[in-house]
Amino acid sequence: MLRPDKGMPTASLRLGGALEHWTERHLRYLMLAPTMLILLALTIFPSFYMFYAAVHRISPNPDLPWEFVGAGNFARLLTDAQFHVALRNTVVFTIVAVTFEFLLGLGLALLLDKFIRRLTFLKTVLMIPMMLPPIAVAITWKIIYEPQFGVLNEIMFRLGLPLQAWAGDVNLAMFSIIVADVWQWTPFIFLLMLAGLASLPVEPYEAAALDGASSWRQFWDLTLPFLKPVIAIALLLRVMDALRLFDLVFILTGGGPADRTKVLSLYIYQVAYRFADPGYAAAISLFVLFVTILLSTWFMKRMRLAE
Amino acid sequence: MVRKLFLVLAAAASALAINGAAWADFTVLVPSSSEGDGLRAAAADYSKMKGTKVEIVQAPYANVFEQGANAGATKSGVFDIILMDDPWIPFFAENGHLEDLTPFFKKAGLEGPDTDFLSKSLAICRNPYNTGPYVCLPYVGNAQMFFYDAAKYKEAGVDAPKTWDDVLKASQTLTKDGGGRYFGYVFRGGQGNPVVADFMPIFWSYGANMFNEDRTKVTIDTPEGAAAMKTFMALRDVSPKGIESYNANEVGTALAAGTAASSINWPNWVATFEDPSQSKMVGKISYSPIPAGTKPGSSEIGHWTMGIMSASKNKQEAFDFMLWATSPEQIKISAERGNPPVRTSVFTDPELTKQEKFRHYPVLMEAIQASTPRPRHPKWPEIENAFGIELSKVVAGTITPEEALKNSQTAVEEITGLK
Amino acid sequence: MATIRTRSRGREMLLRLSAYLTILVALILTLFPVYWIAANSFKFDIDIFAVPPEWLPRNPTLKHYDEAFIQRPFLRYALNSLLVAVGTTIISVGFGAMAGYALARFSYPWQWRKQISFWILSTRMMPPIVSIIPLYLFFNYFDMLNTKSALIIAYTAFNLPFATWMMKSYFQDLPVELEEAAIVDGDTRWGAFLHVALPLARPGLAATAIFCLIISWNEFLLSLIITLTEQSQTLPIGIAGRVTQYKTYWGEISAAGFMACVPIVIFAFIVQKHLVRGLSLGAVKG
Repeated sequence: MLRPDKGMPTASLRLGGALEHWTERHLRYLMLAPTMLILLALTIFPSFYMFYAAVHRISPNPDLPWEFVGAGNFARLLTDAQFHVALRNTVVFTIVAVTFEFLLGLGLALLLDKFIRRLTFLKTVLMIPMMLPPIAVAITWKIIYEPQFGVLNEIMFRLGLPLQAWAGDVNLAMFSIIVADVWQWTPFIFLLMLAGLASLPVEPYEAAALDGASSWRQFWDLTLPFLKPVIAIALLLRVMDALRLFDLVFILTGGGPADRTKVLSLYIYQVAYRFADPGYAAAISLFVLFVTILLSTWFMKRMRLAE
Repeated sequence: MVRKLFLVLAAAASALAINGAAWADFTVLVPSSSEGDGLRAAAADYSKMKGTKVEIVQAPYANVFEQGANAGATKSGVFDIILMDDPWIPFFAENGHLEDLTPFFKKAGLEGPDTDFLSKSLAICRNPYNTGPYVCLPYVGNAQMFFYDAAKYKEAGVDAPKTWDDVLKASQTLTKDGGGRYFGYVFRGGQGNPVVADFMPIFWSYGANMFNEDRTKVTIDTPEGAAAMKTFMALRDVSPKGIESYNANEVGTALAAGTAASSINWPNWVATFEDPSQSKMVGKISYSPIPAGTKPGSSEIGHWTMGIMSASKNKQEAFDFMLWATSPEQIKISAERGNPPVRTSVFTDPELTKQEKFRHYPVLMEAIQASTPRPRHPKWPEIENAFGIELSKVVAGTITPEEALKNSQTAVEEITGLK
Repeated sequence: MATIRTRSRGREMLLRLSAYLTILVALILTLFPVYWIAANSFKFDIDIFAVPPEWLPRNPTLKHYDEAFIQRPFLRYALNSLLVAVGTTIISVGFGAMAGYALARFSYPWQWRKQISFWILSTRMMPPIVSIIPLYLFFNYFDMLNTKSALIIAYTAFNLPFATWMMKSYFQDLPVELEEAAIVDGDTRWGAFLHVALPLARPGLAATAIFCLIISWNEFLLSLIITLTEQSQTLPIGIAGRVTQYKTYWGEISAAGFMACVPIVIFAFIVQKHLVRGLSLGAVKG
């Protein structure tokens, strides 16, 4: 850590003028200023607006005044069945999708690390899914899942398995969304885990091998603790993204069938724009924001990521 | 390297400055499907003729409503004209987003739209329905039609299906013989707009309706509703797996690819069915009005109508354009571009009707004249969503038909505040 | 990794075989959907729906490329996407580098450094859907709806936090002595940042840039609400627009979707050695 205050020969050596001097003295604030200003403008204003909107009933008619309803919109959260469905679906999606992505990604990385480390080209090819526009991914999977002429059902047919409606089936719809998401994001976890494995120190393993520790023990006692920061970052990023899932559902199922894939982002979007009820949409948004920040803060504290 | 970076930064900053929107004389919001394309072509003609620059804003279908509602709620005036799907009219009109057209007609020395427009097409453009002032003009004359493969129906012992019972009889045979790869009937079961759109005509043909005459009571959970639901369930049982996520596209594709024998769909599909690069069923699909239940069949009207946004600053220019675009000559050109007309003279124009691709015009005109609008209510999007959830559930089999009717009744009562 | 100890040659062979088999399966699963969208883009509509599916296009056609890129303004959408992605990236990386450097090198009164770092990251936790309504009003107020600058500003807000964090972690890893030496030689503090730290952090800048580019090239929701005409609409919106009320234009969508992937994939190959770091918030040294 550099401390400019102590013993640092600064601008005085080069007195270019008062302005330069001033710039130099306040550099620590000036360099931070653009980022802070942009973020303040684009987060503080929305936040205040959200708080203000959330306690009002806002008619789609711009000539009617906003009606103050206090905690009314928040009270609705308790009884709104559609909100409960969306919340449950979001939680299910986040837990299942991220767990699969994590286990698959880590497992593959452990298995393949030794063999794929130098195959940079191959590694990059495996990364392709996560770089694609989610909208293109959603449409691709829609064609694959198509029950009549989709490839997946053709494969089922060839294997003599029963044909399925996939995204159109009540019981398989969420699963289908999860598969598409796992397809797109497992490479991300895989990539991070490979990078983590590549930076492991060698000595502790040599010592452990001398002690006769089993592979399992080595994994549990050495690899996992070493990987912890990488795992933490990977999970944090994936959970934050999973909580805001929108594109896949918007294209693949539109929240159906039977509300089985309606997630919070989609519901907020509907309430705000379809039902033209921005006050209630703001209340749900604040709830989501609150939960996300709470979760992330707790997680970051636990994983000591803040520093 | 660093100097370069800052040069690029400066370049980016100036690029920001130059991309300001060059707004035209007036702006029209349209969906990015065929009716939007038609109006876009018309606007280009108009610009050439009158020297007025018309900006066309194309949004994905579902997004047109949202963009319009956003603009209305913020009085942003970014759009002067909005091309609306007719069920949105009450929302826009009753929330003060649409301009009453009466003074503009007066100023032009007109009583109102001329009588060459189909009466049903004009009725939806008034709010309240058929009685209130005009808030828009009809542009695209959509109404559902019944599409079926006449040869297959004949095989199953039904010559020309007149009632839902005929459809069921043929479909049951065809699906049974299809071995899981061919189906007698197919419909839009996708949650929300799709499933509601394909349920409503069945609902009506059994004499049911969502509201009573004066919109004071919700009437979904009635004996008529139950009769419609029964037929709907029987149709579901002969439809392929996966209709739970079907939209107009999947339904049309099933017919074009020859994997299903009949369905309700929009007339836009006629052109696709007759195009050999997109269809295996060229010349084999027949068209008829919606079959009857216990009452005569009624198709759902799905017109695209043009209205002027209240926040517009160019209302007169907008009105002049609308009057021009809906004139007989323009509606005919629009028909040739693939959008169904809204005028008797165009529907019966021999120049068109003698062409193979317009052979459905008599049936379509009949369908429009026997059509019903979706329940007129400013909260229709919310109603459609709630009703769509229940219908989706019953199609998926997670609730019984009785529950679906009961839940829908309660949900719509709650949304509309009618108990 | 050193955990796997080989007991015998046979076991080693078996492990190797299963590893290569896994790689093969992973490759197929990864690439098939991409191949499928590419294959569909070259088929006539009727062949897209063929049962059984045509694994290879039997009558290949460029029809859909003509529809998308000649008859429809997909080139325009692509150009918009490019301008927006590059603009966002330059601004985010520029400001992010400055803020990251400040947070890595300077001290602030009252523990501000830690607070500010955390606050910056926490702004990224706001799901986009949450801020869309106020952003719409914001841009409407400044008459900026349907402009590429509005998109750049909005995307910058979502990219800056990550950019700052990534650059911060990069600068923290750089030895401070070089900058000190520059200052002793008479350079200013700002000069030391410009001439010493920034060039050294070039891989970090690249990594951050990749991240910003991918995010803004792919973004859908904000663009859906903010943009209106082809003058500012981006590729994802153009693609979604071909799912119409009556028909889904699979062919055009496949052509456009495939072309939307191409630049990103090429780009990924060019910058592959920085990729890991760019996508992991700088937590892993790729």
